[in-house]
Amino acid sequence: MSSMIRKGLGYTSLAVMLTAIFMVFDWAPTEAEQGIAQRIFYFHVPCAWVAFAAFGIVALASLFYLWLGERIWDDLAYAAAEIGMVFCTLVLLTGSLWAKPIWGVWWTWDSRLTTTFILWLMYGGYLLLRASADDSPQVARFAAVVGIVAALDVPIVIVSVRLWRTIHPAVLITKTGEHGLEDPRMVVTLLVSLVAFTIFFIWLLMLRFAQLRARTRLCRMGQEIALAEVRAGDA
Amino acid sequence: MAAPVVETHALGKTFGQHHALRDVEMRVLPGRAIFVVGANGAGKSTLLRILAGLSAPTAGHALIFGLDSRRLSARYRRRIGMVAHQSYLYPNLTARENLEFYAELYALPDPRETAVRWLERVGLERFADRRVRALSRGMEQRLAAARAMLAEPGLLLLDEPFASLDGEAVRIIMSLMRDAVARGASIVAGMHVVPEIEDLEFEVFDLARATLTRRPPTRDGGDAGRIARLRSLLGR
Amino acid sequence: MTAFAAILRKDLRLELRSGESTVALLAISLLILVVMVFALDASRARGAEAAAGALWVALVFSGMLGATRAFLAERDNHCIRGLLLSPIEPSTLYAAKLAAAFTFMAIAEIGSVILMVLFFNLNFDFTLVRVVPTLALGTLGFAALATLLAAISNRTRMGDLLLPILAVPMFVPALIAGVKASSFALGGAPESAIAQWLKILVAFDVLFVSAGYLLFDYVARED
Repeated sequence: MSSMIRKGLGYTSLAVMLTAIFMVFDWAPTEAEQGIAQRIFYFHVPCAWVAFAAFGIVALASLFYLWLGERIWDDLAYAAAEIGMVFCTLVLLTGSLWAKPIWGVWWTWDSRLTTTFILWLMYGGYLLLRASADDSPQVARFAAVVGIVAALDVPIVIVSVRLWRTIHPAVLITKTGEHGLEDPRMVVTLLVSLVAFTIFFIWLLMLRFAQLRARTRLCRMGQEIALAEVRAGDA
Repeated sequence: MAAPVVETHALGKTFGQHHALRDVEMRVLPGRAIFVVGANGAGKSTLLRILAGLSAPTAGHALIFGLDSRRLSARYRRRIGMVAHQSYLYPNLTARENLEFYAELYALPDPRETAVRWLERVGLERFADRRVRALSRGMEQRLAAARAMLAEPGLLLLDEPFASLDGEAVRIIMSLMRDAVARGASIVAGMHVVPEIEDLEFEVFDLARATLTRRPPTRDGGDAGRIARLRSLLGR
Repeated sequence: MTAFAAILRKDLRLELRSGESTVALLAISLLILVVMVFALDASRARGAEAAAGALWVALVFSGMLGATRAFLAERDNHCIRGLLLSPIEPSTLYAAKLAAAFTFMAIAEIGSVILMVLFFNLNFDFTLVRVVPTLALGTLGFAALATLLAAISNRTRMGDLLLPILAVPMFVPALIAGVKASSFALGGAPESAIAQWLKILVAFDVLFVSAGYLLFDYVARED
């Protein structure tokens, strides 16, 4: 049943994503100041939304894992972290690609990009932790603790970075945020793109989650088979 | 019949693909001593760590004083004492300071006096102010035994308590074990060979049967359900 | 004596006997400050900002050392097991280790501040006192964070390398706030400028001390 949902989600994602791409490149009007490069914004923002949402999922799943102890929550957290990391990387890449033609620099320390970069580092730490240790429940607990603490940290990061950047406006480069969208077609395009990326993310998450679940189950089955073999040998 | 101090049901512990323990069924009543016998690597240490609440089983469960070993509250942990290969003693503190520290940790009423009393009990009063790193292995283990017993635990867990000890240390630890049983405590000790020990009734639990050994399948019987493995041998 | 006090006293007593951690942290702080002098070319007196930055770099790196060393005492003879077996709550152990790490860091920081004044051409005057609250809050926050994470990183293959990877990104808000508040304090700025940064530090401390206290149980368990 779940594989049917996944398939359905996959096709829906494809459809909405194609629509979004069309809208981004063809339907939305060209922005006055920034020209064509501004269109990256329609990918950049949804990726950021997904990256932060994924981190929230990591935190919630970690909380449930610590509370309930069921491996399934740990698998969900791990899957969300992996997929989230991909989208977080995309935010940074699209941000860089956007900055270069408009402002002439490959990177800028504006508040949102900085916060996303810190998030990226936290994702990286989480994944490195998981990679550097075996698959035991102990490591899963460690990762859960890291996930929760990092997520709790994010609001403080946002506040402090924002405060930091208002002190030095000279270096500040405002991204054309929500307020800068004059044409309603831009707003619609953004919304469609948001939906497209969200569905895409959920689809990827379900795929990866299913993989991890299968791996956990296989592991367990292997153990049970070995156990049964030995018991039979003993009898 | 008194409530068992230790009770395990189908206890199993797996590390990845390695089954350290499986189907361990055990019951220890108050004032009884059980020697868990098995070769090195047979899982004795793993079993003891689970009973101490340090490790969680991957199958089945263990009840210590009626409580699940995974959920031992402070009140119950105070009633468990453990002596392992590592002494849990700080090498840079003196013998006395170590015992005082543990007495404080276990919230005993008079840590100073307790430390002195137990130092005498294990024959280390002359070394009270010597740092643990300067003690011989036998003395360190004697001190470790004192550390484990100073809160008068109801359950003593010993992991190879006599390994590489001199004669006097062995004698002292045996007498500590006798005292513990005499006042109603239980002992679960892991050893690779059953020791000669006087004036102590004990049962032997053969762990070797409960480990992963490959043997050719028998014709009769066939499936193995859960087999109770408790064997009783009466000590002298 | 409470278990917390007993553990802390034991750790301080051990440190008093060997002095290893204090020396190590002071040495690291000194070396980092030297590196910063050349990195920022402090010979051209740039004062408050550069000094504050260097000070906090020293704080972060000596802090990581302090946190790992707070647990080092338990490694010999597996003493950590003795602690876990005892009737103490893991949170108590966390609090005691946090206090130990904080103490080591504080000693190193006194040294760092003195060196900072010397290296960056500042004055030994009242402005130094204004830095104290910032440093104290920052140290507490980092100690809380690093103690929790060190207990984790100690048990992984990457070990000591994993601690900075995990700790530094999470510490960024406190780092930003701490450096800003310190440079304002040293530069003679009004209280109001510092206050907003102190609020962030307080929030950070509350968050991480609570998180560490509540979550340490999950970290301390063996398996």
